[in-house]
Amino acid sequence: MIDMLPGIDCTTSALTAERIRLDVISQNIANANTTRNIDGKPYQRQQVTFETALRRQETGDGGGALTHTVKVAHVENDQRPPVLVYNPAHPDADHAGMVAMPAINLSEEMADLIVASRVFEANLAVVKNSRSMTIQTLSIGKRS
Amino acid sequence: MNPLSAIRHVDAAALQPLRAPKPALEARAAQTIPLEELEKVALEFNLNPVAKPELAASPFANTLAQMVNEVGAKQSAASNAVNGLLSGQSVPLHQAMIAMEEASVSFQLMVEVRNRLLDSYQELMRMQV
Repeated sequence: MIDMLPGIDCTTSALTAERIRLDVISQNIANANTTRNIDGKPYQRQQVTFETALRRQETGDGGGALTHTVKVAHVENDQRPPVLVYNPAHPDADHAGMVAMPAINLSEEMADLIVASRVFEANLAVVKNSRSMTIQTLSIGKRS
Repeated sequence: MNPLSAIRHVDAAALQPLRAPKPALEARAAQTIPLEELEKVALEFNLNPVAKPELAASPFANTLAQMVNEVGAKQSAASNAVNGLLSGQSVPLHQAMIAMEEASVSFQLMVEVRNRLLDSYQELMRMQV
């Protein structure tokens, strides 16, 4: 394949990874008050870890360059214990009237959200620059 | 079919304005290279690359055909990505956009190459003998 947009492989993988991170953050925010997960316990906050994936970029002569792309390694449960809140009217309250709420700090999630969207934006800027570099290169030698 | 056939159509119409008007040909020349034409060319060369003896004789034509193939591949990759996105398969938005961008930029590259070829051809035709 012709490599029309330089560096686009890494950027695509980073965008995909950031999208997944955004998914996980939105899941955390949405479940901030979920007291009963599938296993009956309160929702556990999740976080993603990224890892490098090597991808061989084929060049025409059979050789290839290794590009370091990003992929999501794991989506892991945060091990923080649930927060106990006194609310005897809650259906999930124990005999002492305490409800185990997920240990999700909304401001922490919002900060993560900002980071994810900024990183996404940075990668989009790479795409934009890469495109304009290619377009400008195509105009080499244009008369008029 | 020759990879330059589309170019030839355009060229023939452009170079001979004094001929009796052929509306069909002129309508074609008004467009840039039509997509179906490109796809036909790409398909043809994929299927039987050996069946064209005059191509084996001219490596540059091969190179051109390969480029047209590549551009066709990018176009179809882009349309696959968009189809996947619109039909609700899990194709991320940015992937579809990037595929489209790549297709458009490589198409521009092809048009640029065609323009240069045409320019040099016209330069030759203007040569004093």
